[in-house]
Amino acid sequence: MTHHPDQELKKSGARQEALGVTGMTCASCAVSLEKHLQKIPGVHRAFVNYPNQSLNIEFDQAILSLEDIKASAGELGYNVITGNAPQRQTLKEEVASQRLKSLEIKLIVAISFSLPVFIISMFLMGKVPFERWILLGLSLPVVVYSGKEFFLNAARKAKHFTSNMDTLVALSTGVAFLFSLFNTLFPEYLIDQGLQPHVYYESVVVIITLILLGRYLEERAKGRTSSAIKSLMGLQPKELTVIRNGEEVLISILNVIPGDLVLLRPGERVPVDGKVKRGESYVDESMITGEPIPVPKMKGDYVFAGTINQKGSLKILAKEIGESTLLGNIISFVQNAQATKPPVQKLVDKIASIFVPTVVGLAFFASVIWYFCGPEPVFSHAFVVLITVLIIACPCALGLAVPTALMVGMGKGAKAGILVKDASALEMAHKFDLLVLDKTGTLTEGRPTMTNLKIASHAEERQVRSILLSLEKQSEHPLAQAVVRGIGEGVSPLMVTHFESMTGLGVRGVINGRTYMLGSSVLVQNLRLSMETSLLNQVEDWQSKGLTVIYLSDETNVLAVLSIRDKIREGAKKAIKDLEGLGIDIWMLTGDSKGAAQEVARELGIRNFRARQMPDSKSDFVVEMQTAGHLVAMVGDGINDAQALAQADLGIAMGSGTDIAMDSAGITLMQSDIRSLVKVVHLSRMTLGTIRQNLFWAFIYNLIAIPVAAGVLYPAFGFLLNPMIGGAAMAASSISVVLNSLRLNQKIL
Amino acid sequence: MNTYRFKTNINCASCIKAVTSFLNEIDEVDSWRVDTDSPDKILVVVLDEGGPEVVVNAVKNAGFFVDIIPG
Repeated sequence: MTHHPDQELKKSGARQEALGVTGMTCASCAVSLEKHLQKIPGVHRAFVNYPNQSLNIEFDQAILSLEDIKASAGELGYNVITGNAPQRQTLKEEVASQRLKSLEIKLIVAISFSLPVFIISMFLMGKVPFERWILLGLSLPVVVYSGKEFFLNAARKAKHFTSNMDTLVALSTGVAFLFSLFNTLFPEYLIDQGLQPHVYYESVVVIITLILLGRYLEERAKGRTSSAIKSLMGLQPKELTVIRNGEEVLISILNVIPGDLVLLRPGERVPVDGKVKRGESYVDESMITGEPIPVPKMKGDYVFAGTINQKGSLKILAKEIGESTLLGNIISFVQNAQATKPPVQKLVDKIASIFVPTVVGLAFFASVIWYFCGPEPVFSHAFVVLITVLIIACPCALGLAVPTALMVGMGKGAKAGILVKDASALEMAHKFDLLVLDKTGTLTEGRPTMTNLKIASHAEERQVRSILLSLEKQSEHPLAQAVVRGIGEGVSPLMVTHFESMTGLGVRGVINGRTYMLGSSVLVQNLRLSMETSLLNQVEDWQSKGLTVIYLSDETNVLAVLSIRDKIREGAKKAIKDLEGLGIDIWMLTGDSKGAAQEVARELGIRNFRARQMPDSKSDFVVEMQTAGHLVAMVGDGINDAQALAQADLGIAMGSGTDIAMDSAGITLMQSDIRSLVKVVHLSRMTLGTIRQNLFWAFIYNLIAIPVAAGVLYPAFGFLLNPMIGGAAMAASSISVVLNSLRLNQKIL
Repeated sequence: MNTYRFKTNINCASCIKAVTSFLNEIDEVDSWRVDTDSPDKILVVVLDEGGPEVVVNAVKNAGFFVDIIPG
């Protein structure tokens, strides 16, 4: 980088933008766009993300504008989309569905013209008058219309002296088509030289059709991904009620200003970050903190956008609005994490980038040999060999190798309750070596359950149970439901009179002429209730394990104590053990207290855990582990996990969790069964194994045919490549690949 | 609950918007409204407790003229 005297000045004009990009069809497109943009004077930094189709750019406003960048990307055939996050998302989706639509039309055209070409070439050769001209006519739309993008992409690649799958397809089909065209127009030329003027129209159209089919399947799978931002945005209500100049008015979220007094009714979502000015209520903050129990809010407490007001009405003084809320910060983090993830180069492109130069080299090498050692006419022979090697090089099953294995693998996963969103997630699922687990909702069920009830020696159990049920049925406290469920059936509620809620303490009510109270330890302390030693010891034990304790008393004595906790999911312990058996390090992160975390960790045999984690500290932890060289998988369920899920190399969400977690993750466990994690690893191994086998089957027939095309058999048998060999290679490789993919279905997960 | 009335120059919708956050921020303010149709642009504030000084300061900080109407 050169230093300018006015560099300081320039820095002040620096502007960073996260933009959408459309038109990229492979990971190398991303690289080329990135390199192209970085070369523009005034661009400090450009980062293009292929899977997410986005661009992160830092540039100097004093030197160039966003429009210049758009124009510059346009030169390469890419479209940069500006606007705010939801707008961009919608635009990108539109473009993606247009692309899918156009692929579909191209595919239909390709299939309808390829089919007659294939039938004529395979079964009716020599029986149809003017067959070559008919084949030419039928192939033309497939090459010119359906196959256009292969040629354009290959040309773009060639400019940068790189190659990918498009290059291979374009090279093979292009050469085959031109050669066939020449032989159709001037068949005498080769005949005069003593050579067969073969045509390879069916190779051309079948390759284009099958590769297009693969691309269509892939594109359709991709369409479902990445609407995390949109659903996060959906958490902010679009309208809200504010008090403006003494009147309640319903306004759009876009018109709210900091300092507005927001009126929040029961059941409404909090639209802004703010401070409670009036009212009392419980607010469900599970989407931010992951903890299932609603939090009491009163004057002076902070509430966060996206959380849900439960029972009371609140007046909130808006402090942070829109993108500067905690929710907004999470959104921009998730967006950035997705934008800065390094693009994964596709296996096929990687293979193609080595295969193409090798094949071209081989073709020239073979034709040189023919030129110097072959029979007369040397030039024609050498030329035909060069052409036929290039024609046979492209395996038509190449396009099917990856999508068919992925489709079968994803289908197999879906049957087992494992929803795989994108291919790279499935690939990563057998590579990660460190697994981060969220506690609440992931290792535990995520809803409070009454686990124990201990009754004082002087009290009668049946009676205690019906008093508990009667009082809790009236209560609006978030934990009341857990007790009602815990008491279960067989107990009938009694008549409660004079029911009242004692703020911060609990509830009280009169049953059969006697007053009973239900509440927290504060109730016991404040009213100096007496409690027998056995109950005291029990409470101490529960508290040390981080359990929530509730007390039932009459006016003087504690009658019973009960513990409430978030139950550990079935099979979690075995799953952890199995995963450790696979050589994976396990960490547990939770927003909960240290005591509760310790207890769960102990029960599950987890050695490493961190308690009291905020959403950003979870993702910081993931970064820390990634920097230490780990490939990190993260399992979570809440919005509080979204950042970490997006940051991790592989995000896995629980199906019972929030939509945002599922959208940020690459894989979702639909049954929220932690035991499925082991299956995810197996599924990944199997599918990736199948992809590799498929690639082998796709290439092997063509690899065998290359020496034939190069003329290895000619000295012994007088045998060169003819269209029948090409056709046989195509059929054999496609069938092998499809059958091999289907074989995946038979395997046991 | 104490109700106070003030003469001000808060005379349009955007002026109300400008003063909104300053008045809402005050803990003691229960409710307020400005009658922009009245010639004196009367601001009526209901306070939970305390005197009118906090309101005068807040409106001044927002950049408006304010004068308490006695009684």
